[in-house]
Amino acid sequence: MKARNQYKEVEDFLADESFRLWMKTQKDLDGWEEWTLEHPKRAKLVEEARLWLLAMNVPEDNLSQEQINTALQATWMKIEQKEQGNKMEQKVIQLWNTSWVRRVAVILVFGLLSLYAYNNFFAEKHYSVYDEIVSNPDADGLLEQINNSNKPQIVTLSDGSSVLLQPKSKLSYPKVFTGNERNVYLSGEAFFEISKNPKKPFFVHANEIVTKVVGTSFRIKAYQNQSDVEVLVRTGKVEVNSEKANQKKIVLLPNQALRFVRKNQTFDKITDITLDKSISSSVKSIEQLSFEFTDIPVAQIFKTIEQAYSVEVDFPVKTLEKCYLTTSLSDQPLPEKLKIICKSIGDNTAYTMNGNQIIISSKGCNYQ
Amino acid sequence: MNLKNQILNKDILDDNELWAELKAGDEQAFSILFKRYYGCLLQYGNTFLPFSEKVQDCVQDVFTDIWVYRNSLSSTVVVKAYLLSSVRKRIVRLQQRDRVFNKSKSVDAIEFLFDFSVEHRLVSDELTAGKVMQLNKVLNVLPSRQKEALYLRYHNSLSVDEIAVILNVNYQSANNLLHRGLLNIRKEWKGDLTLLMMLLMNWI
Repeated sequence: MKARNQYKEVEDFLADESFRLWMKTQKDLDGWEEWTLEHPKRAKLVEEARLWLLAMNVPEDNLSQEQINTALQATWMKIEQKEQGNKMEQKVIQLWNTSWVRRVAVILVFGLLSLYAYNNFFAEKHYSVYDEIVSNPDADGLLEQINNSNKPQIVTLSDGSSVLLQPKSKLSYPKVFTGNERNVYLSGEAFFEISKNPKKPFFVHANEIVTKVVGTSFRIKAYQNQSDVEVLVRTGKVEVNSEKANQKKIVLLPNQALRFVRKNQTFDKITDITLDKSISSSVKSIEQLSFEFTDIPVAQIFKTIEQAYSVEVDFPVKTLEKCYLTTSLSDQPLPEKLKIICKSIGDNTAYTMNGNQIIISSKGCNYQ
Repeated sequence: MNLKNQILNKDILDDNELWAELKAGDEQAFSILFKRYYGCLLQYGNTFLPFSEKVQDCVQDVFTDIWVYRNSLSSTVVVKAYLLSSVRKRIVRLQQRDRVFNKSKSVDAIEFLFDFSVEHRLVSDELTAGKVMQLNKVLNVLPSRQKEALYLRYHNSLSVDEIAVILNVNYQSANNLLHRGLLNIRKEWKGDLTLLMMLLMNWI
C-alpha cells in the first residue's frame, strides 16, 4: 500500500480500508482528520473520495447472531452427512481391496455375463413374432387391441369372427380382411370363434406357431414371457404349424390340445386334455359354458352370453319375458350367435354392438 | 489456564492463523471463520441469485467442503478471496446445471445484479445529496463486470490479483475493468457536474 502522503487519485483513498472506516463510521484510527486539514489540496481529494463512498454504499448484511448460528449448525449437519457418505465409500474401497471380495466379484460378473450371453444367443428363440410383425412398417392398416384390464375383452373382426381377449394380451388384426387369407397376430391368450369360410382360411400367428382354421372355436395361449405356447380346440378342426416351417403340421380335433415347447422348438400333442393339469385348470368360463339351449328363456341365454364374453346385454325384459328358445350356438362366433338368437325371436328383433355393450331391440317373439 | 486463554482469544486471530488451525482439524477455528464470513458471502451470492434459498445452500456447501477436504487445502491462501471465489464458482456451476435442465441457451457466465445504494445517513446538505445521487446513478449503469470488480475492490478490499482470479481473467484485464469503470464514471459525472454548476451559477 502506498503511504497516504503519496495519494493522488480518488481510487487511492477508496482502496484504503482505514480511510473507508473513517468515512463510514467516523472512527478515525489513523488521524485522518488532522492529516486532511494539513493541505487544502488533500481536503479536495478527500471530499471527492467521500462523495464516491457515499454513492457506492453496500448495505450491511442484517443477519442476526442467531441466523448465523443456525446456518453454522446446518453446515455441521451437512458435514456429518458428507463424511458418513465418504466413509461408506472408503469402506467399499477397502472391501474391494481384500482379495476374496475381488474373486467373488469376478465370478459374479462372469456369471452374469454368461447368463446374459445365454439369454441373448441361446434362448434367443424366445423372439417375439408379434412385435416383429406389428412394428413392421408394412403392417400399416393393422388395428391393435390391448387388454390391460383384469377382465376379458371381446373383439369382433370384420368377417364376423369374435375373439375373447384375456387380460395382459394383445391382438393385431386388419380392419378389413383382404386377399385369400385372414391373418391375425396374438400375444397372450385368447379364445377364438371363427366364422366359417373355406375359401378364406384363418391364420393366427402366436409366438413361433401358426394356427390355421377354417371355421371353429379354439383357444391360444402364447405369452411372450412364458416358455410354452398352448392351443386348445373346442369345436371344428385346426392345423398348427411352426412359423419356421421346418416342422410337420399338426392337426387338432375338438378337446385336443397342443403344447409348443419354445426352448427346443418341439410340439407336444395332448389328446386328452382332462389328463393335462396345466391346460384343464386354465379352461376359461367361456369354454365350460354350454351353448346348447333347449326351451330356455331368452333372458337366460343373454345371461350366458354376458358371462361368456364379459359383455353387457341390454334387452327389453318385459317384452321378451315369455320367449323361450331351443338352439345350438356352440360353434358360432358372438355376432353369429346374436344374429341367430334375434332371428329365432322374430323378424322385428335386431342387435347393435358397441364395444362390450350389446343392445337388443325387439317387439316380442313370433309365437307369443 | 494458559490453554484456556488461548482458546478464548481465538476470536482475535487473523484469517491465516485460523485457516492453519482449521487445516489441523480445529473445529473452533472453523466456526469462527464461518461466523466472520457467512454474511459477507451470502451478500455476494445474493448479487447473482437475489435472495434465493439456493445461495444459503451454496455458501454452506462451500464451508462443508472446506472442512471435509481440509487436508487437501492449500495453506497459502487469502481466506476471504478464496471464500468469495468458491461461492462464485459454486453459483456458476449451479446455474449451468439449471441451464442444462431447462435447456435454455443463455450465456455461460453469471451476472452481477447488485445496485449500489446511497448512504443517506451521512449526507447533510442538498448540494452533496445531488452530487451523490448523480454519481450513484452513473455507477449503477456500468457493465455488470465492471461493477462487480468495483464491489470486490472497494467493498471487500480485495487486491487486483485476487479479483483477477475470481473473475477468471488475467491481472491486466482485471485492472482494465476497474480502471474503465472509474474512468466511465468520472467522465459522465464531471460532465453532469459542470452542467449542474452552470445551472447553479445562472440561478445566482
